Amino acid sequence: MRPPIVPVLALAAASLLVLTGCTSGSGASTASGTPVAGGTLTYATGDAEPTCLDPHVGGNYPQALVASQYLEELVSKDKAGNTIPWLATSWKTAADGSSLTFTLKKGVTFTDGTPFDAAAVVANIEHVKNPSTLSSTGYLALQKVSKAVAASTDTVRLDLSSPDSSLLDSLSQPWLAMESPTALKRSQAVNCESPVGTGPFVVTKWVKQQAITLTRNPKYTSPPKDAAHTGPAYLKTITWRFIPDSATRYAALQSGDVDVIDNAQPDSIVAAGKSSQLKELNAPRPGVSDRLELNSGQAPFDDDRVREAFISGVDVNAGIKSLFFGTATRSYSLLSSVEKSGYSDKSLFDVDTTKAARLLDQAGWTGRDSSGYRTKDGQRLTVRFPVSTNQSIPAERALFEQIQAEAKSLGFDVEIQQLDLSSWYGALAKHQYEIVSAPYTKVGPGVLDIVYDSASIKPAPSGYFANLAQVNLPQLDTVLQQAGQEQDATKRQALYTQAQKIVLDGYYVLPLYDQQNHYLYRTSVHGLRAMPTVSTPTLYDTWLEK
Amino acid sequence: MTRALVWLAKRVAGGVVVLWAVATLIFFAIRLVPGDPAEAILGGPGSQASAATLALVRREYGLDQPLGVQYLRQLGHLATGDLGTSYSLKQSVASVLAAQVPPTLVLAALSLVVAWLLAIGTAWWSASGGRIANALASGLEVVASAVPHFLLASILIVVFATQLGLLPPVSTGTPSGLVLPVVTLAVPVAGFLGQVTRDSLLDAASAPFALSARARGESASGVFGRHLLRHAALPGLALSGWAFGSLLSGAIVVESVFARPGLGRTLLQAVTLRDIPLVTGVALVSALAYVVVVALGDLAEAVVDPRVRDASRSRRPRNRGTVAA
Repeated sequence: MRPPIVPVLALAAASLLVLTGCTSGSGASTASGTPVAGGTLTYATGDAEPTCLDPHVGGNYPQALVASQYLEELVSKDKAGNTIPWLATSWKTAADGSSLTFTLKKGVTFTDGTPFDAAAVVANIEHVKNPSTLSSTGYLALQKVSKAVAASTDTVRLDLSSPDSSLLDSLSQPWLAMESPTALKRSQAVNCESPVGTGPFVVTKWVKQQAITLTRNPKYTSPPKDAAHTGPAYLKTITWRFIPDSATRYAALQSGDVDVIDNAQPDSIVAAGKSSQLKELNAPRPGVSDRLELNSGQAPFDDDRVREAFISGVDVNAGIKSLFFGTATRSYSLLSSVEKSGYSDKSLFDVDTTKAARLLDQAGWTGRDSSGYRTKDGQRLTVRFPVSTNQSIPAERALFEQIQAEAKSLGFDVEIQQLDLSSWYGALAKHQYEIVSAPYTKVGPGVLDIVYDSASIKPAPSGYFANLAQVNLPQLDTVLQQAGQEQDATKRQALYTQAQKIVLDGYYVLPLYDQQNHYLYRTSVHGLRAMPTVSTPTLYDTWLEK
Repeated sequence: MTRALVWLAKRVAGGVVVLWAVATLIFFAIRLVPGDPAEAILGGPGSQASAATLALVRREYGLDQPLGVQYLRQLGHLATGDLGTSYSLKQSVASVLAAQVPPTLVLAALSLVVAWLLAIGTAWWSASGGRIANALASGLEVVASAVPHFLLASILIVVFATQLGLLPPVSTGTPSGLVLPVVTLAVPVAGFLGQVTRDSLLDAASAPFALSARARGESASGVFGRHLLRHAALPGLALSGWAFGSLLSGAIVVESVFARPGLGRTLLQAVTLRDIPLVTGVALVSALAYVVVVALGDLAEAVVDPRVRDASRSRRPRNRGTVAA
């Protein structure tokens, strides 16, 4: 019997289609301390692909990540949290706080040849403030800026409607970066594709859903004060890829297809720690810590005894330890650990289930239903907990389930609802939540004004509001408003500390850990660092070992 | 010739109805889920945009109009071939689709080919390999058709990219980058096609026409290729439309996992951002592709099966029984 031709061909063809091609791993690394110029670095981000590369438009973290390579701000921060010069060499606040004047670095040009001067800064401020730019983050930060005035070629004055102690912090963020006024005059669609800045790299190509290509700016002259070198960047090209799946991203890093990844997950971080070829950069984001907020605006958490019962009855330390494998440190603060004004009080979060039970009894939740949940007047002690699957990593969602189980033993029925981002915001806007965990990234303690002032309970036109715990305390508002206007750094810090104590003592918030922001990179990558402002990576000092 | 034209006209009319139904369904369905399209335009949900900005956007995009007006207006645009502008990408939907359709089409077409090759291969193996092979193939097919794409993708990445280092985990556009995504998509479909193909292959193998072919002295492969395969492929061909649809939906997972550009990933992002024009555009293109593939499947069936061919020619099936091939 002759061999059957057709099926053999079929199987062979199938295997051929399947097994063509192969890639090899990268060579061994040899240690060397002298930076080498040239080469292409591939960065793989797990954040969403921006819809516009100009962070003035909208204004979110994915935009900030990539914009940190080609746009620059007036000021930056050093590791200790002090404001340092960048495109501005110095600045001065008027004695009455009514204006902020910047002296600009001389001889800086945008990569399209337009000079960076006072007129350019004015054009940028006006661009962000113009409603048709559709700015959200930057617009909010400039609310107190009534006008920008070019006092001379290299002096620009921002006139304020009222003193704003957070303005300098805000101006260090990529959402208020400086772009070429010539480029800003183009249509928004074009500017979104190829924004023009003063940065060490230039956007040369953007193939949607694949990669942004950034090339070195050979005339670069304006690194921030804390950069490791001067002159142009070492890398010739950056390929900025979008790899949404975390396992694929890590596999690509392991295989050497990419050099740096962000949004590394706890299991990958631990695995990388055991690898001789991978390193970790841990750079928590500034702003508020990752925390559970209890909605004090409606039952049952409008009763402070019920809030205290929940917060002192739930143990989260064991869960954080086991689910994050030691990659996340428990926080007892409202603010990120990178924020030097952060105030921490561990004693408020000692677990005491006996006390929790007593408080719930006192609050009238004395009944028990057939499922073991506490009841009051026949109503079950139910709290809704919408979780955004876009903003919460799997380890965190597992932690929330542990918290759910812990709370069940106290008699709470925690209803976790996993929602996509739009539905999640929809649920919050309709106040369909009693517990929520919402990130907010911002440089400086001024984030407290946004998140805990009672004015932030009033929704923005989109329905969004930032004060999700619905803290409504006139005393706190007063302290926050004073802090927001205070020009003296020491007094400002004291006021913000006082504000944090008020919120923590009111049991509105259960802090968990910093906003996790772990980068992993291959050992052939040197000089990678995160900006001390919003913890985005900067590849300016980065070089690749050949 | 006129019959062919009538057939084509009916197909086109049917296709238009399908597209209209899809456009209508998407239009109303996306408005039933929470989320504000104006926020998509403003860079994503959770916008803190001012009232002035929001009003500007709503007016500019006609989102302040009554729903009925918006619907009719959209239908009008679609009827003239204008798919509109993506809210989130600020590009014309047509140009987004022009860039994203080819990679998905390549992926789906290759997967369909690989799936058929695998299905035919296992079907033949089980038909010729005796009881053990049959049981083994049948088991493999059940597992293959049941395995979720994300699980298969993860296993393939761990084995072929991480452990063996043979293939890239990210599909960068090189031929080698296509291998893992294609296999991930093809295996479940192959399992399904294999099941139906094998059943009818076993039926056909014991049918009189197969016996007479062997009696005429045809080789095993000749019997398989010229007689059995024709017979056995029919149910599978009828399912090709379904298979293609399943490949398109599988592309959402596969394109995300392997970081491949394409319709699936575009759709995922567009839905997340409530980008109505883009969601509509992707849905219409997918529906159109489905309509075309089903029509092609019917044509292929007619080519393979004289009964179908004759039926469409004379509208009076001549019953030739099992000796069709």
